Amino acid sequence: MKWKLALLGALLPIVAAAQPNFAGKTVTIVVGYKPGGGYDATARMLARHLPDRLPGKPTVIVQNMPGGNSIIAANHMYNVAKPDGLTLGTFNRNLPIAQLTKVQGVKYDMLKFAWIGSAANEATILAIRNDLPYKNFEELRKAKEPVVIGSTGPGANTHDFPLLLKDLLSLNLKIVSGYSSSADIMLAVERKEVDGRAGSYNSLKPFIDRKLVRPIIRARSNEAGIEQLPIDESFAKTPRAKAIMALRSAPEVIARPYVLPPNTPADIVKAYRDAFAATIKDPALVAEAQKAQFDLDYTSGDEAVKVLKEVLSQPKDIVDEFSKYVKFGE
Amino acid sequence: MAKQTSLGLALAIMALAAWGIYSALDWPLKSKLFPLVIAIPLFCLAAAEALWVFFAKDAAASASDFKLSQDQSPEVARRRTALAAGWIVGFFVLVLLLGFPIAVAAFVFVYLKLQGKEGWLFSAVFTAAVWFFFYGLFDLVLHMHFPDGWLFGGFGGF
Amino acid sequence: MLDAFVQGLVLVLQWKAFAFMLAGIFVGFWVGLLPGLGGATTLALMLPFIYNMQPVEAFAFLLGMHSVVATTGDITSILFGVPGEATTAAIILDGHAMAKKGEAGRALGAALASSLVGALIGAAALAAAIPVVRPLVLTFGSPELFMLAIVGLAFIASLSAQGARGMVRGFLAGGLGLFLAMIGQDPQAGMARYTLDTLYLWQGLDLVPVLVGLFAIPEIIDLVVRGTSIAGDAPAGRINRGALEGVKDVFRHFWLTIRCALIGTFIGITPGLGGAVAQWMAYGHATQSARTPEERKGFGQGDVRGVIGPGAACNSKEGGALIPTIAFGVPGSTSMAILLGGFFLLGLVPGPDMLTKHLDVTFSLVWTIVLANIITVAACFLLLNRLTALTAIQGHLLVPVVLVLVFIGSYTSNSSYADLIVTMVFGAVGYFMVVAGWPRAPLVLGLVLGKIAENYLYISVARYDAAWLGRPVVIVLLVIAVGVVLYPIVQALRARRSHG
Repeated sequence: MKWKLALLGALLPIVAAAQPNFAGKTVTIVVGYKPGGGYDATARMLARHLPDRLPGKPTVIVQNMPGGNSIIAANHMYNVAKPDGLTLGTFNRNLPIAQLTKVQGVKYDMLKFAWIGSAANEATILAIRNDLPYKNFEELRKAKEPVVIGSTGPGANTHDFPLLLKDLLSLNLKIVSGYSSSADIMLAVERKEVDGRAGSYNSLKPFIDRKLVRPIIRARSNEAGIEQLPIDESFAKTPRAKAIMALRSAPEVIARPYVLPPNTPADIVKAYRDAFAATIKDPALVAEAQKAQFDLDYTSGDEAVKVLKEVLSQPKDIVDEFSKYVKFGE
Repeated sequence: MAKQTSLGLALAIMALAAWGIYSALDWPLKSKLFPLVIAIPLFCLAAAEALWVFFAKDAAASASDFKLSQDQSPEVARRRTALAAGWIVGFFVLVLLLGFPIAVAAFVFVYLKLQGKEGWLFSAVFTAAVWFFFYGLFDLVLHMHFPDGWLFGGFGGF
Repeated sequence: MLDAFVQGLVLVLQWKAFAFMLAGIFVGFWVGLLPGLGGATTLALMLPFIYNMQPVEAFAFLLGMHSVVATTGDITSILFGVPGEATTAAIILDGHAMAKKGEAGRALGAALASSLVGALIGAAALAAAIPVVRPLVLTFGSPELFMLAIVGLAFIASLSAQGARGMVRGFLAGGLGLFLAMIGQDPQAGMARYTLDTLYLWQGLDLVPVLVGLFAIPEIIDLVVRGTSIAGDAPAGRINRGALEGVKDVFRHFWLTIRCALIGTFIGITPGLGGAVAQWMAYGHATQSARTPEERKGFGQGDVRGVIGPGAACNSKEGGALIPTIAFGVPGSTSMAILLGGFFLLGLVPGPDMLTKHLDVTFSLVWTIVLANIITVAACFLLLNRLTALTAIQGHLLVPVVLVLVFIGSYTSNSSYADLIVTMVFGAVGYFMVVAGWPRAPLVLGLVLGKIAENYLYISVARYDAAWLGRPVVIVLLVIAVGVVLYPIVQALRARRSHG
């Protein structure tokens, strides 16, 4: 009998050690943006709800580290943050593209991060003013007058999505960039200064509901309410054009990425992945997020890595062609 | 003093504007338009000011901005200015090496002792009060994060 | 509409909402006072607390906090010469100069009274604009906003010293500011401009470290050089007696106060200009009220009008900024963006609904601003003696504390030591400019308006080719801009003619 107890006694510490414990510790979520934006809001919401699902119920706080379009935050997570499970990072979803197109200053490798997952998908759509005569994509294609689309600048989906539609699908669009935020563009739409904008379905939904704009075409990601819209890739005239559009859309499924530093021990990563999944999938939380006008969709760390591998293994000629259209930016 | 500083600033701006114009030449039109429209007149204005300093006999009207106090003699003023600059840069170095929390305590104490010539007890108490206020507000209430100093292995902060 | 007006007041006066407003005021008081805390960051920190509140309570808290930040930020600017907030830097020029003459009480009295008047006017504008707000905001398109930025830049002429050489220096400073505004990635072609190959400069220079360096560092150096307290040798009794005098000043220059408050409200309403501009335009306008060149020279040395103008404008713009936020969901500043997040959280959708269905909530916001400002100003007056006593403390006790707050304030906006370097660099620049007799205000104006002017110009040209130049509001603004530039020149000519 005694040997059973001895065995148990020997196994217990191993079992206990396999469960990381954050009791009494403070976990920091590093956000690559200033307070007030979507990435920050998601992080703060996670900071409130993650502790309950992490062993030891630590305090979770948010640290804003904007700069370099969140490359600085990613560099910090890759090079400086310790892999002890006390620092999480979230940053611009287009950072894999920045790595792919060899943007100067990139000091990280997306694939080497310990991925927790993504807290949302972002479905990008193009929406135009309701009182324009074009009711769907086919009609828009035949437009004789250029349709003016407002954008914030290269690197944002307000700019890149219509740019590809214009250059690769020959849509008659005129892109006017320099608006300080997507809310400013909506104001310009109301003023009839521009005819529409591209952006996340989430951010455009209140305006669609208000019948100010109507959605015309979407990118690869799907969401309830826009399933019927045509997809940009389906109209691509060449496989290369299709690959470029797919590349632009790829990060959409990792719209709110969360990572741990490279070489974080597997048990810590697992604890976070489980807590993260449980938090994001909690229906009460999803409802609360919807009220706050942002969506929560869970993407696992493994799926995220799969998408990244696809993105980062694109052949050079596609990357070069892509870089001609899409520049990395805010 | 004012004349030489004005000249120095004007020359510095001329150099900056020249560099700005030179860097912008390779850019696409839309990117370089505004920088050029700004930098070229900037260069000319700076040149005008520099020439004014050389050839003008009377001093220019001073701006409606604050003037440094004139109560002290120039040598004293110069020495104390250098000292002040030294303290500011010194604090920055302390923050880099020791991290904010420790640097704050160290700086306040050393400043009170050396510059303020206060006694040990007063300096210690004042430093403790300032440090507790700093710690209480930024760490306990706001949960703000300050990276470790370079001496302690932290290399972050930039 | 009248019953919504009354209903709004009733909503705020419910004891729970009122208590939350007081809590918000308490937090906002310290946020404004301390240079290390930014209004926007703290708002974001407070957001989690409002999840479980009713809309009116949550807004009483958030707005209560937000409304008072500008008022208490003025206090730090006046007493220590350190901008308590990015929006309270202009008041340093004359406010702190008065403190150094031992007139801190008078400056504070003037700042507090003008803040209150400004806030009331901003709130009144918010209430009055409700029926016309949508057509009003919609008239201001990108061409108009570009022209407005030009008007703002025209104030550089007012902020310069008199005479041709003074103008050259003023425009040099302004041009330098404009040049610095070009740093960063441009939104037309995505080029990284003047970033010196660093990531830090990709998004341009951050305003707070620059302001703090430009204004606070020379003051700190001066304090060390003087070796005295801030108030110098002024007798202690005189310092705090002046508060009533300051209040009387506001009423002595009542029309100036009103005009500057209107400038602030107007800047607040037009989304896209940013809040930091209002104080400088108001200051520039205040200097225009000087009747003689000697009076003009008095600005920057402690003219109370240089306190009244920015004081009124800063608070009035808050009421104005709520208008586009509520009516369109377009936030005029980061703080408003966070407030907007709060709106959504509580199930309120900004837009026409807020002006019709939820009009009482909108009015409760107006009342919150009014009440919060009245309470804060009253509290500050009670604390006035304690506050002004700080200017009598020995300089070497204040220097380390102020320097610590300055450094933390710079650091916390981006969690980067690079901001500290920016502060020190601009500290040196500010110091040399002061020694050389160059004005610093135009530099700030250029820095703040540069990108706005560029972006809106490109949008206007891309959208309308050249036709935008013919729009009526654009022409009106152009005339105003020319007028603003010519005004000091004409003033100087007239003065010379009457003397010679």
